[in-house]
Amino acid sequence: MKASKKKASTVQKKTNLRVYMRRYWQLYVLLLLPMIYLIVFKYVPMVYIQIAFKKYSIVESVWTMPWADNHGFEYFIKAFKNRDFINALRNTLVLNLLDLVIGFPAPIIFALILNELVFKKFKRVVQTIAYMPHFLSWVIIYGLALQIFAPSTGFINMILSNLGLNTVPFLNDSKHWVATYIFLGVWQSFGWNSIVYLAAIAGINSELYEAASVDGAGRFKKMWHITLPGIKPTIVVLLVMNLGNILGSSFDRPFALQNNLVMNVAEVISTFVYKNGIKGLQFSLTTAVGFFQSIICVIFLLLANWVSRKLGERGIW
Amino acid sequence: MKKKLLSVLLACCMTLSLAACGSGSSDSGTSDSGSAGTETQTEAADTTEQASGDEAADPTNGEVVDGKFTETRKITVEVYDRGNDGGSDPTNNKYTQYIKDNMLEQHNVEVEFIAVPRWTEVEQINNLLAAGDAPDICVTYDYATIQTYANMGGVLDLSSYVDDYKDLLPNMWNWLGETNIYWDKDPSTGQLWAIEGKLAVSNRINTFVRRDWLEKLNLEAPTTRQEFEDMLVAFRDNAELLLGADADKMVPFSMSYDVGWRAALLIESFIDPDVSDYEYYVNGFDDRKLTQNGTKEAVQLLNKWYNDGLIWKDFALYGSGDTTEDDMMKAGYVGAFMHNWDYPYRNGEDSIQTNLERLVGEDAAYIAVDCFEDSKGTHNKFVNGSVGDRKIFFPSTNDEPLASMMYLDFISSPEVIEYLQIGDEGVTHNKLDDGAVEIVAATGDDIQNSGFNIDYTITCNGLHLTDEEMTIKSTAHSYSGIDTELIEAANTICNTDTRANKNVNVGAIASEEGMGTALSSKRDIILDTAVTASVDSFEQIWDDGMADYLSSGGQAIMDERAEKWNATYGDTQQLPE
Repeated sequence: MKASKKKASTVQKKTNLRVYMRRYWQLYVLLLLPMIYLIVFKYVPMVYIQIAFKKYSIVESVWTMPWADNHGFEYFIKAFKNRDFINALRNTLVLNLLDLVIGFPAPIIFALILNELVFKKFKRVVQTIAYMPHFLSWVIIYGLALQIFAPSTGFINMILSNLGLNTVPFLNDSKHWVATYIFLGVWQSFGWNSIVYLAAIAGINSELYEAASVDGAGRFKKMWHITLPGIKPTIVVLLVMNLGNILGSSFDRPFALQNNLVMNVAEVISTFVYKNGIKGLQFSLTTAVGFFQSIICVIFLLLANWVSRKLGERGIW
Repeated sequence: MKKKLLSVLLACCMTLSLAACGSGSSDSGTSDSGSAGTETQTEAADTTEQASGDEAADPTNGEVVDGKFTETRKITVEVYDRGNDGGSDPTNNKYTQYIKDNMLEQHNVEVEFIAVPRWTEVEQINNLLAAGDAPDICVTYDYATIQTYANMGGVLDLSSYVDDYKDLLPNMWNWLGETNIYWDKDPSTGQLWAIEGKLAVSNRINTFVRRDWLEKLNLEAPTTRQEFEDMLVAFRDNAELLLGADADKMVPFSMSYDVGWRAALLIESFIDPDVSDYEYYVNGFDDRKLTQNGTKEAVQLLNKWYNDGLIWKDFALYGSGDTTEDDMMKAGYVGAFMHNWDYPYRNGEDSIQTNLERLVGEDAAYIAVDCFEDSKGTHNKFVNGSVGDRKIFFPSTNDEPLASMMYLDFISSPEVIEYLQIGDEGVTHNKLDDGAVEIVAATGDDIQNSGFNIDYTITCNGLHLTDEEMTIKSTAHSYSGIDTELIEAANTICNTDTRANKNVNVGAIASEEGMGTALSSKRDIILDTAVTASVDSFEQIWDDGMADYLSSGGQAIMDERAEKWNATYGDTQQLPE
């Protein structure tokens, strides 16, 4: 395909394009399906971003709704005057940063360890077990967490109190809750996220390891000088994508795990939008918040990508 | 060749589906629903003119003959889906069939039910309204939602319908009366966005304690707050005796994250019984009475109880609709709690009381007690009167307002209410010797998904038989498998020393719009964190929480309420009698 592309760009563009299309048009037809999906479900709804700048009305079309005050920015001003939103913004940042710092290296370390295992069957079993939590919904995970961490009926605290020790407020104290939240997040995703790294490791030329062995490199030396550099491009791409999502927030995880006692650290943008927008009927305000969130995410993504290219890595474009 | 053919076919399919999507979305687009709304409104205006012009004229223009439409109409009606164990499909069962058949026969109107999950009803209705798919007849407990949508033009003004078609709606007018029909009418604009369903029984809330535990510990049923506290302490200290091996599961007093409801009797007992109508109204936005005088002291007491180990430690961790707490009651770990006046006796075979007897023993029982005295030594139990329950409204996408009105009339007729509530003799109820009705727990298609099928009798909540005397007699028999003594005690206690809400109608309060959810979730957070705070930090946490609540819109609402009160009633502190 690359070859034909090059050809088309040199001489006799028109005829070449026709030849090219005649040969490959089926591929483009097949591409239509995902394109249509993207347009219908991802681009058409963007028309409604206007709601952020307009006074929402349930009966009017989005085109005829009146503009909001302050040149349409009324709801952005309102959002930034809203302490709950500022709080949610802070929490989103903090939780995502912690997730990144603790959650990002976890699958890399796991993949490295797994790669060192010699016994194939054991490796597969461990891998499968580590994937499992990824398929659990957060509601179920919260159910499990309650059984294990609840202050009076939780399994761990029951053991602690039977041993005469102080119980630990895993879920009902702000600091402990953050730790539990991060821990559960890592637990749920490290296995699944390690797949990409394992695939990258599998692609490293095994001759490199043999050569290193001949030179007398030990296990850690090989890991440090061959495996890690070998998967570095993968790590960078994933890091860029993760940074792009630093202000993004999934909904189900914080929503399932939060409770009233820790709301000061548990309310994130997505749950704020749900509570005030869908439950509280403030559609314009929460669309503004969501729009703001998307813009910041794009900026972060571009920035991280730019930095990684500056540092000589590939980035995602 | 085959490949080519296949691709062409695929491409065609996709273009077609795209086209279908496009046209579909423009059909159901919001712009359309808007024009539908205005159309019906102008129609209504026309009929009003005609009606006022000529008294004898038929307000329906001959569409309705003898209460029956000449052409079949179709309406959709909301029904709660409670998702109860062993329940039937709320949109299609024996009772919906009864309604459908009779509506078609009596009024030539086809009825279709649309299920809305009971515990997330507001969210679901919001979504349906925003998508233009809302049922023609919507029901909600939350008037703020209706007001918000009305402000956007998404709700039909019912004022002309209830008046113009009064002759066609005898049952509705008889049952609801002016009080419930006009309750929400805006005094200045005359607009009516919703009709208040009627509470046949205004019983609200009770405190329940374990009778068998009291007996085991040789305690009398508590009659004061102090005695109640002493009883909780006794439960806590005697956990070994009461629960044996399960002593560590002991919960003297349990509540949920919704402290304002689950400790309502305690909180209300701290409110000054002489509170003026003005003060009560100004602080009345929060239905859990967060800003009323006395609430702080009440929560402080709860905070003390919590720190003394008298309250369930995990209460704030479970969301609404979670059954963990109920399961603890059923298993017999809970000493006392507050809830709906008949809560432990509800749900037939699956009721808390029946489970308790099965799992703990025949003598185990929850009984209602009356132990939260106010500052005058009597009780000050707030009840709703006949209103304050469910509100019925028509979204502006409703293009059959008359047929919908006739549905409300049908569902308000005494015979229909009676049949839906007690079902067939020998199946869902038995006739007793004195004529009273005893409810029998049914299964399969006969099961009532909600007690007395209140989810279908949307204008009537609570048992209401055609014969009033029989209603009273039957109430105690209406809980299958439950000792009638328990029900009678609960019924008596929740009806003593009550105080009915008065209707302060000063028009819509603009600052309340859209604030309901945000402020009530703030309220829950304040109450939960204040109860679980350490005793020393209670003041700080309460004051910070209240400051946040007031500056996030609470104060603005109170100010506007005060202003509107003054505009309507002047300087007086009490409502005119």
